[in-house]
Amino acid sequence: MRGSAPDDENLVVKSRAEGLSFYYGQVKALKDLSIEIREKRVTALIGPSGCGKTTFLRCFNRMHDLTPGTRYEGKIILFPDSIDLVARDVDPIEVRMRIGMVFQKPNPFPKSIFENVAYGLRVRGMRSNARIEEEVEQALRRAALWEEVKDRMESSGLSLSGGQQQRLCIARALATNPEILLFDEPTSALDPIATARIEELIAELRDQVTVIIVTHNMQQAARVSDYTAFMYLGELIEFDNTSKLFTNPSQKATEDYITGRYG
Amino acid sequence: MSEPSEGHTFKAYDGALSDLRLRAHAMGGLVADQVETAVRALLESDREAAELVLIREQQINTYQTEIEAEIFGLLARRAPVASDLRMVLAISRAVTDLERAGDESKKIARFALASIGRTAAGPSRIMHKPLRHMAELASESMRVAVDALDRGDAQVAHEVARLDREIDQEFEAALRQLLTVAMERTRLLRTMFDTVFALKSLERIGDHAKNVAEHVVFLVSGADVRHAAAREHDMPAKVTQH
Repeated sequence: MRGSAPDDENLVVKSRAEGLSFYYGQVKALKDLSIEIREKRVTALIGPSGCGKTTFLRCFNRMHDLTPGTRYEGKIILFPDSIDLVARDVDPIEVRMRIGMVFQKPNPFPKSIFENVAYGLRVRGMRSNARIEEEVEQALRRAALWEEVKDRMESSGLSLSGGQQQRLCIARALATNPEILLFDEPTSALDPIATARIEELIAELRDQVTVIIVTHNMQQAARVSDYTAFMYLGELIEFDNTSKLFTNPSQKATEDYITGRYG
Repeated sequence: MSEPSEGHTFKAYDGALSDLRLRAHAMGGLVADQVETAVRALLESDREAAELVLIREQQINTYQTEIEAEIFGLLARRAPVASDLRMVLAISRAVTDLERAGDESKKIARFALASIGRTAAGPSRIMHKPLRHMAELASESMRVAVDALDRGDAQVAHEVARLDREIDQEFEAALRQLLTVAMERTRLLRTMFDTVFALKSLERIGDHAKNVAEHVVFLVSGADVRHAAAREHDMPAKVTQH
């Protein structure tokens, strides 16, 4: 299926996958995916385990490059400069500077809270301590963590609660001002209150950055996203406005999955 | 829109949804029967029939309370989506219409009881035919609508809309006829008024049946045809999805 963007809003396309296929060795994990990701909107990827949603998400920041024997076909164009994120001649490090990622399990570095956020800035070559301090505070504020950690910036990132650690990881990702932020099941290890805070944070970030989120929790997709893509067996089955997809999906497979008739 | 597969992975959810449909169907059947019984009570001065309608009105209210409580629980516990959500909403709306149609039958039964005590009992003989005909149409449209709700059959919505138009035409014709009679026989004015109210109740019952049919269209297609129907006095020729 071609995931043409629902045409109810005249929004800017931030990224477009064009006939994207992905192989783990001989196994074709993604099959000819085409989808448009709208700028400064939240797009959720849902589907059963093994459907390829995390594989697809990881294509956006070239995480698969670290696994031998993997191969991309097709393109993921990033706008406005129209670079192909999966092209061989595009540097994955540069891609990851522009596209941040937050993982399932909070993974702060075993460093201070401050250094966790400052890390990406230093890698980018920022030298001025005053500037770095300013950017760190800004990122922590955007991640709704500043008030909780401002008096203990030198404590270890690992001393924080699970929800705080995840927000620290979001601050770390935000510090380099990414254009797209990828979330891979960001709340599956968190309790309902920490989950609600992350969801609220995603809603706040919506105005600042394009978000793509993979989630097993369909209610979470319904709550936080503007658009939802349903994937099954490596294919994109349906892509639509989240409200439409959750009230009146057009594909039977989507209907079965979201209503709990799958499997 | 898409047809879901049979059965949820979580069987208790299937049970709860199916129970909801069954109760709504039973409530609808009872409401249709109330319409027929109330009009029989009026036309045949049948006190027993009128009292039966009043007693069974309590059952209808109980159905409404129980079905709504069930829906409340389903929304909280299962968070239904897609066709399940549409079904729960359609039933919730239909139950409100069914309860109101039940109220209209109760009004007719009350007129019947009140007129039994009077010398000039019941509506003038000349009004029996239109009353009976309207009652048949109202009751039939309610049965058709409730069956459609149970089966999820949006096609019969057109049939209910046709019946509703017929009821409206009957109502207009009956009013004209009543006006003529009233001018000729002023001593029957009181029973004339009762007859007008009974006719109006039947006309409203037809409207409620049409509403139920519109909820069925929503259940099946997700399209909200309520206001489109109000504009065109009809169902749309073709159901369009939103």
